[in-house]
Amino acid sequence: MSFLSPLFLAGGLAIAIPIALHLLRRDVAPEIPFTAVRLLRRSPLEQTRRRRLRDLLLLLARVTALLLLAFAFARPYFAAAAGAPALRIVAIDRSFSMGAPGRFEQAKTLARDAAGEAAAGQQVAMIAFDDRATILAPPGGSGEARRAIDALEAGSGGTRFGPLFARVQELAANGAAQLVIVSDLQRSGWSDEAPPAIAPGIDVDIRQLPDIKSNLAIRSVRRSDEAVVMTVVNAGNAAASGTARVSVDGQERGSAPFNVPPGSTTDVAVRYPAPERGVLTAAIDDPAGFPADNSRVLLLDASTRPRVTIVSGADGESGFYVARALQSVDGDDGFEVDERTVTSLGALSNEQLARSGVVVLLSTRGLDRKSRDAIAAYVRAGGGLLVAASPDVEASVLATTMGWQGFSGAVQAEPAGVLAPVDLRHPIFRPFGALAVNLGDGHFERTWTLRAEGWDVLARFTNGAPALVEKREGKGQVLLFASDLSRRWNDFPLNPAFVPFTVETVRHAAASSDRRRDYLVADAPQGVAARAGVYEAAGRRIVVNVDPRESAPAAMSATEFTKLLRPADAVTSVPLEMRAQQVESRQNLWRYGLLLMMLALIAESLVGRPAWR
Amino acid sequence: MPAPATARDLRFIDPAIISRLGTMELKARTVVEGFLAGLHRSPYKGFSVEFAEYRQYLPGDDLSTLDWKIYARSDRHYVKKFEEETNLECHVLLDVSASMAYRGTAPMSKLEYGSVLAASLAFLMHRQRDATGLIAFDERITFRLPAGARGGHLHALLLALERMQPGKQSDTARPLRQLSEALTKRSLVVLISDLLEDPAGVIKGLRHLKSRGTDLIVFQVLDPNELTFPFKEPAKFRDVESAEELLADPAAVRTAYLRELAGLTLRYDRELRGAGIDYVQLDTAQPLDFALLAYLAARQRRK
Repeated sequence: MSFLSPLFLAGGLAIAIPIALHLLRRDVAPEIPFTAVRLLRRSPLEQTRRRRLRDLLLLLARVTALLLLAFAFARPYFAAAAGAPALRIVAIDRSFSMGAPGRFEQAKTLARDAAGEAAAGQQVAMIAFDDRATILAPPGGSGEARRAIDALEAGSGGTRFGPLFARVQELAANGAAQLVIVSDLQRSGWSDEAPPAIAPGIDVDIRQLPDIKSNLAIRSVRRSDEAVVMTVVNAGNAAASGTARVSVDGQERGSAPFNVPPGSTTDVAVRYPAPERGVLTAAIDDPAGFPADNSRVLLLDASTRPRVTIVSGADGESGFYVARALQSVDGDDGFEVDERTVTSLGALSNEQLARSGVVVLLSTRGLDRKSRDAIAAYVRAGGGLLVAASPDVEASVLATTMGWQGFSGAVQAEPAGVLAPVDLRHPIFRPFGALAVNLGDGHFERTWTLRAEGWDVLARFTNGAPALVEKREGKGQVLLFASDLSRRWNDFPLNPAFVPFTVETVRHAAASSDRRRDYLVADAPQGVAARAGVYEAAGRRIVVNVDPRESAPAAMSATEFTKLLRPADAVTSVPLEMRAQQVESRQNLWRYGLLLMMLALIAESLVGRPAWR
Repeated sequence: MPAPATARDLRFIDPAIISRLGTMELKARTVVEGFLAGLHRSPYKGFSVEFAEYRQYLPGDDLSTLDWKIYARSDRHYVKKFEEETNLECHVLLDVSASMAYRGTAPMSKLEYGSVLAASLAFLMHRQRDATGLIAFDERITFRLPAGARGGHLHALLLALERMQPGKQSDTARPLRQLSEALTKRSLVVLISDLLEDPAGVIKGLRHLKSRGTDLIVFQVLDPNELTFPFKEPAKFRDVESAEELLADPAAVRTAYLRELAGLTLRYDRELRGAGIDYVQLDTAQPLDFALLAYLAARQRRK
């Protein structure tokens, strides 16, 4: 039961007054001299006991009346609808952190029990979630829901609670529902996004599995000239040691011992000159931790590093900052940077251009028709294009080159403010995490004012104008940044966020260009199993690895988790407080409280009247 | 018992008025003369005090003893009694225990009422030339005036009554026992008490006196509060003699108390009347005529 005005319940403390009077009054009986006390003493005492009973009944009636008065003023109501909601949704976490020995069986038991607790007539749905939420059993009988998880196993995905709640609200369809979440409540489950707004009728119940105290994981693997280096993370409270092993195409090729202090990360080098081709697997043993992160796969083909062609102006200087930012990333996560001018771009054949994962266009002045056609064809064939506005980029040339109707970019000479992402969950901004605030340190003095209908806005300047937009173009992807990346219209390249912004934007453009070969489970191409491994996709070999963020076992409490869930208070839905008032006005429980109070007062007057003596 | 005279006639014996009079002699005289004045106008002439000295003419009586004045007034033949026929020793036993000092809503306390009654009776007795004595008692005899008929004796008796103070706890049986040992001739004993003690001892004592040939009249004097128990609020009732306390709710105990009191009254009435003892219950808020009439009736029966 809830109350609209709970402070009035404090009025119930007034019951102390009649109680005090009841206890104190007995001691102040007047003394009356009398002569026939012996005749009084022979009178039966049953009436005196009756008097005491009368006093107690009076006290009870008065206390009840006061409590009911306070109760009525507090405006009580029942927040949940009478009886259990019609729908019970059981969601079981199948991220790879649930794969620790015995853990997933425990989770399945909890999920079956939760399904079995459904009230008579209540429909039960079963959802399994990791990076995505999949409906295993649509709303139906609890037996079907229980059977749906019999064959379920822990997967390779990471924990993401956002897709789960989206699916839950889909199933509930704005109605009431009970949601039971069976999970280890990893903190990383909210790292990509803000907790969602929950419709008021959804009641969340958490069945949390016990914490895992330690886990060893391979976060990354790369090769150098003479060794394969794997980064091992120890999330436990004690030092961990073991043997790191390297195999290629299934054959073990080398190993090395390691010792990782608690809460630390160590690079373990296995002396082994990896070949140019093949599939390399790095592995450790961690019998008590999450199995999925004990190995990581690396494609040895050289082309795993995307090629980035930077097209600068005739002076070749406008690409300086971008090139340095991309070159700062080494190893297989890095890029092959090819710096060209608009003039030398024309020397590339279409086939040569096609080998680039991304073209970063920083100037259109002097771009001949052949080059413009080549760029357009490259993008439509699946290439990624990043254009940065600058004095050397002409919006009209872009529009003509790409055939964009209604596209324009007028130079805005007034300061546009700072950069602000629209959605921190976007792959460009997700890696920033809490460091996304650094994006706001750069000041943009000049920008393009874009007229870009049909583009997705990924970031804005604080004056509200679009800062970074993207759109699909054929099989490829185009990203347009509304200010320059060469420090002519802003001081962004001097900002610490410039390098990760440039790297992630280029990486996103490359990934979207469909030439990527290294994926996480969450963004594996369609048709590829959501499990770590080596697959063929679109005529080429790709590797899928688990998300290293899932290796951190740190969990939140059920209370902390529940507090993060915001009640839906969007403009289009009724604010929570108003909804409570609506529910209370329908129930009008305060009237019953006052009616009962009147009955208590009537009883008090009846008991207290002289005839009752 | 015949009905008393009208209220107008008995206005002089209203306790509220009597209580405002000065000396006991004045009170007693007012009561008696007022009572007698009322009786004169009463159709029940047989209760005239004057006639207490006479008896009806019986065939064979000496005609010289006929009182022709009375015949002229009453058209009846009466002869004067011999002195020895009228020579009665009367003893008034007045309970002065602490409970007699109780005054509820009545104009006088029980002791005051009893004192006026005793004084009034002494007045009447004196007019009839009966020797009258007074014994005051609580748990023992506190005052004793032997019976006498001289003029100064009445004055001394009235003065003693005026000075009466309440004593301690009551024990009626003891003075009765002492009196029964002391009485040597035919006597009339008038007991004035509230009798709020163990009735067994009182009844035994009275019966013993009766068995010695003594005529007895018992006046039980009670306050209206004792008779009706009008209290409403719970209170701590403290006994004025024993200091015993009882916390009680009047509403809860009234019915039982009145039943106990009625039982006590009934027992006195049944056992005393059965022993030939006159028993009269008096309310201190009511005029004393009832008591005086009762005395006269009892006196009449002893002729």
